[in-house]
Amino acid sequence: MKLYVYIIRRLILLIPVVIGVTVITFILSHADIGLLIAGYEGKTRTLAARLIVIHELHLNGPVYVQFLYYFTNLFTGKWGYLSPTEPVDAGTPVFTEFMRRFPPTAELSVIAAVLVIAIGLPLGVLSGVKKDRTVDHGTRLAAMVGVSIPTFWIGLLILILIGPSGPFPHFLQVTTEGQIDFLKYGFTSKGTLEPWVASTGSSGISRPTGFMLVDTLIYGDFPAFFNALEHVFWPALVVALTSFGVVTRFMRSSILESLGQDYVRTARSKGVPEKFVVKKHARRNAYGATTTVMGLFFAGLLSGVTVTEYVFGWPGMGQWLYTAAAHADLVSVMATTFVFTIVIVVANLIVDIIYSYLDPRVRLD
Amino acid sequence: MTSAQSLIGRTVRSRYAQTTKMIYYLTRSPLSTAGLFVTLLYIGLAIFGPILVGGNPEFMREVLYYHGQYIYNTPLPPQPAFPFGTTYGGYDIFNGVIKGARIDLGVAALVVLSGAIIGSILGAIAGYVGGTTSDVIMRLTDIFLSIPFIVLAVVLLMVLGRTLTSMVEALVIVWWPYYTRLVRGQVLTIREQKYVEASVAAGSSSFRTVLRHILPNSIYPIYVQISLDFGNVILTLASLDFLGFGFAGNNLAEWGNIIGLATSGGGGVETITSYWWTILIPGLVLLALVVALNILGDGIRDVTDPRLRL
Repeated sequence: MKLYVYIIRRLILLIPVVIGVTVITFILSHADIGLLIAGYEGKTRTLAARLIVIHELHLNGPVYVQFLYYFTNLFTGKWGYLSPTEPVDAGTPVFTEFMRRFPPTAELSVIAAVLVIAIGLPLGVLSGVKKDRTVDHGTRLAAMVGVSIPTFWIGLLILILIGPSGPFPHFLQVTTEGQIDFLKYGFTSKGTLEPWVASTGSSGISRPTGFMLVDTLIYGDFPAFFNALEHVFWPALVVALTSFGVVTRFMRSSILESLGQDYVRTARSKGVPEKFVVKKHARRNAYGATTTVMGLFFAGLLSGVTVTEYVFGWPGMGQWLYTAAAHADLVSVMATTFVFTIVIVVANLIVDIIYSYLDPRVRLD
Repeated sequence: MTSAQSLIGRTVRSRYAQTTKMIYYLTRSPLSTAGLFVTLLYIGLAIFGPILVGGNPEFMREVLYYHGQYIYNTPLPPQPAFPFGTTYGGYDIFNGVIKGARIDLGVAALVVLSGAIIGSILGAIAGYVGGTTSDVIMRLTDIFLSIPFIVLAVVLLMVLGRTLTSMVEALVIVWWPYYTRLVRGQVLTIREQKYVEASVAAGSSSFRTVLRHILPNSIYPIYVQISLDFGNVILTLASLDFLGFGFAGNNLAEWGNIIGLATSGGGGVETITSYWWTILIPGLVLLALVVALNILGDGIRDVTDPRLRL
């Protein structure tokens, strides 16, 4: 089977999973009808508004009609409004809030994933090659502590480390929460806090992508870029420290497995230096096996990101989920759940495609 | 009825003998022994701790005045009267940490065992029956596995309400799919073995075949998964309590909640920094147990299946 046929088949197989996910979110969001109606009313809490919402969502109809309208609303961006009890942004459409909250989370997750791969894979290779030596024991212990450490706790400890009383010189300290330190680099050439701190306003500078690192580069504002990079690095490091253990352990076991294969013995017996045996033969084959566990790893990574965002005051989906759940804002919570799930499903698909590309022996069916 | 009873009796007896043997091999490795020792210490703490420190076993001791000083908003450092210091609200950390063992281990045991039982039954059905039943169960598993577990737990807590019971229910709903996937894989391999074929040919019912031949031979990976999951459930429970999604009342003696109290002072990073013990001590207590449980889980895996040694 050709690769593109495989991709199309996988995309078609995605449809039942997505429908299944919407069934779950449908059941959960219709478990408390009062909260659901409140979520679609927005700021106007009158009887008339409530009746309109009931009519629009067909809450008097049979369950399958309710599901149909729920499904349509979900895919046309009608996700309800933020609860009026929330301190800021009351009454904003949930979809608008999602567009604002998604880029910071994506930025944090991608950098965390890069750090996990950068720390986890080399450590796994090292640990496997130097089996039962001091390096191996140290790495295994580090991986063990890494998977056991509570995310919020290491987050708080890192906050203490980088805070005002930490050991770093002042220009490296992080003194404000969020994506950028407005005390240092918030003022742009126009002398306002926009666009890096407040994303909408009168300065006339717009945020083209919403991704802080990309936007600051587009405007060529390098101090802001490096400050944003520092602000994203620490939370990403927290996520990476709590997730690299899984990757390291799998990489170690797959390196050990491929070092025992016949082709490695062949390579050694024909006199290939040990460095190249590991680099060209063992490691390449081990990457494939490690890729397959990445799927489950993403779910754990996003869970870590959710907690880390709360600790670091990061303005992303995780913090939104926390605020929304604390203010009984059901529609926002369901929107976050739906988005996170779709992200994981798509990430799993991409992992599978990369795997079939990395390891041509895998039968594509 | 009698035959079913004797069947279960024999299963329990042989299981007991195997477990004793497993513990013997486990204590051959110093690291696993250390893990086992620390875990048993915490289990002892969970049983006797609340009796030793006295007071309500679920809630922390609150001290509002110490030497005539109002300490609600000023945590006291570790000192003889408070071995681990106090945290915001005047709560005694030592008292809370000791009582927390029962809540954390109790919730984890309930969640892991219920999850393992529900998941294993569904997995055994999916693996043995196959066909459409299997497809439905496995797709359901896939869907549950693609929601990040913290997010799913938060949503369920919101829908079910914030009580201890709903916390356990929510975590069980989050945890069963891992066991379903694991047990189905095991059953699919073991179903093809000759002894299963012999059991079917000898006229055993499906119930007997699964209970007597298939489940006993797939039980070790479940043991390993259970021992590794204990730590994960405790971490998730602590995270949820830290975020404030625990049961009502902020004086609950749960480790995550105690760490959460440290951030409730409202002074941001600077307050956290000046009262380091409010974070460091409960966190180390939590970390020590989770590391011990993970070492123990790895040890059990090494003993039951040396091929899988990571």
